[in-house]
Amino acid sequence: MLPFVLYFVTAVVTGFHVYTLLSFAVYGVPVNLLELLSLVGSFCLLIAAYVSLFRPHAAARWALLACLVMWSFYAPAIAKIVRTRWAKPAAVSQFMGATVGATSKHLFIMG
Amino acid sequence: MILPYLAAVLLALATAYSAVVSFRQKPEGESARPSWIFPGRTNRPTRIFVGIAMLILVIGLGMRFAANSRNSAPRSFRFLIPEGYRGWVRVEFEIPGAPALPAERGQTVIKIPPPGLLRTSSPEQYGWARDTYVFYSSAGLRPIPDSGPARLIWGKINGEETGPSGKRKYEEFFVGNEQQYKDQIDQPKPKDSSWDSHSPVAIP
Repeated sequence: MLPFVLYFVTAVVTGFHVYTLLSFAVYGVPVNLLELLSLVGSFCLLIAAYVSLFRPHAAARWALLACLVMWSFYAPAIAKIVRTRWAKPAAVSQFMGATVGATSKHLFIMG
Repeated sequence: MILPYLAAVLLALATAYSAVVSFRQKPEGESARPSWIFPGRTNRPTRIFVGIAMLILVIGLGMRFAANSRNSAPRSFRFLIPEGYRGWVRVEFEIPGAPALPAERGQTVIKIPPPGLLRTSSPEQYGWARDTYVFYSSAGLRPIPDSGPARLIWGKINGEETGPSGKRKYEEFFVGNEQQYKDQIDQPKPKDSSWDSHSPVAIP
């Protein structure tokens, strides 16, 4: 039952995740083709979960294919999150300090 | 917020497991005993039970999602504007004591009175919807173009402001041709209570 549980839970969680992202289309967010592809992958994984009950080896191949399809959405998304987290934000304003008897000054760097 | 991370972790696990099982030689003969990598086949009643349970779950989830998307879909507005009106139109939402907006053929009808300001107790609707605009008069209704060269609807915005009468959610747009709109941009718009005594902008 291990492959069934693993494929089934993964299919449901990823499917629900992508569905929530797609539902933002109601608010005018453009639909990403990769999201739709990932949803198809989740559905294929659900089928693989059922097939794994009687043909585990064939189901594994089917599941691998479905997972690779889903990675086409998740891999770029994860890469972007990691890049954003590690990126050093550009300074838009830098405090230059104040000298005695003078007013403080700020150097603004635009762009 | 945990959902994307959970989905990524589960996907990684499922990929790793399915890759191991796919690329590993299937055991034959004596060594073909069930293991965690190659579990044995489940019996027929279990397969049937799981199959039916999955089918019910998928159909149930599908119906629930479909119902949710139907309920959350915003209803579009149909603005009825007095014939010949030129100037800014403002609709203020969630005003206690004000009348609610009626609905007609799947659209919420907003009939703008001659001063150009309408207050309603109905909430503002957010989301992707196609609003329509018509002029009304004793002769009937006439559609107002909101795109193309003959466009008469400009500068539509919605927002929330805090004034002496509390928080107000509003929607505004300009009715007129392009030149009239450009001329109006530089002029201050009537705001909040000052709109009560406001009459349509005199446009040559």
